[in-house]
Amino acid sequence: MKKFMNHSFCALFLFISFAAQANDITIIDPWVRAAPPNAPALAAFMQIENHSGNAVSIVEVRTSLAIDHTELHRTQMKDGVMKMIPQQVIPVAAGSNTILKPGSWHIMLIKPVEVPAIGDMVELTLVFDDGVEKTIRAHVRKGMKMMGSGHDHN
Amino acid sequence: MTTTKLSIVILCLGLLLSGCNKQPEKLTLESAMLLPGGKQLNDFNLIHFGQGEFTLDSIKDDWSLFFFGYTRCPDVCPTELFTLAEMMNKIEANPAAVKAVPQVVFVSVDPQQDSPEALQKYAGYYHKSFKGVTGEQEEVNKLAAHIGIFHERVYHLNGKVLVLQDDQIPAGLENSYLVNHSATIILTNPEGNMHAVFSAPHDPEVMIRDLAAIQQAW
Repeated sequence: MKKFMNHSFCALFLFISFAAQANDITIIDPWVRAAPPNAPALAAFMQIENHSGNAVSIVEVRTSLAIDHTELHRTQMKDGVMKMIPQQVIPVAAGSNTILKPGSWHIMLIKPVEVPAIGDMVELTLVFDDGVEKTIRAHVRKGMKMMGSGHDHN
Repeated sequence: MTTTKLSIVILCLGLLLSGCNKQPEKLTLESAMLLPGGKQLNDFNLIHFGQGEFTLDSIKDDWSLFFFGYTRCPDVCPTELFTLAEMMNKIEANPAAVKAVPQVVFVSVDPQQDSPEALQKYAGYYHKSFKGVTGEQEEVNKLAAHIGIFHERVYHLNGKVLVLQDDQIPAGLENSYLVNHSATIILTNPEGNMHAVFSAPHDPEVMIRDLAAIQQAW
């Protein structure tokens, strides 16, 4: 009986932690960059923390916003040229974090039917390679900072 | 010629020559790099949706900041345009910060998909003064090359980069390309010459200070 209680308690505890932080991932400050009303693409940024001992990757992103499709990208500067490179996954190393920000990793929302305004909320579902999905709410705001600076407060 | 007239002539010559031999003022710039001697821009033939023709004449009498990009640009162009908008907002809030308000010219390297109208709607969102210009691909390429801006189309399929000739593009991918490009901002002066370059990353306040210093010394 005691063992059963212990197991149940553990299961409950695990379930609660899963609900709060599925696969030990925390998403900090998700945001979508404001864009012109005829912008062909939007970018989403956030900080992803992986508290577990296993590396994980984002393999897909879905959104509530009416768009054509999502893509994962990484901007890299090589010899003064900005290269925006489509990615199959966005990796987050074990016990580490990956920061999606202008000039670096980002999620693209391609061909929005209607570009959301500053302050609007966009729901994003991140799908990880271990099957876990996390749904987060990103707000639309202006953003210009690139490379090396933290998220801005515009 | 009388001695007086000769003296006047010599004096005038002296003043003239001293102007010619004037050393460029030593500027302290935080980020911008001066182009020594200034580089004359060849005439170019582009279109601005509001103004119509956009040529070398269009940039004379103004200090212009040129940035090359395109509207489908995933990341770099919005970042740069927001930065330039922030710069313009700060100048508007404090006009004394510069000697002359610059004009921002956003050149699309992708006229295949950026019509002048869509381009201006896009650029104008960041700041109402921004000018979005484009034209025939050949004209855009000529100006970019002359100004020193690199750009290249890149096609991707299933995570791999495709290196293609124009006639090899797989069906359905014709408009899917991304464009890699320099993020350098080029400053031209009221004579229509290239004056300085600002390499990425860009900071609005640094650009304002450098711009003011450059204008002061001109």
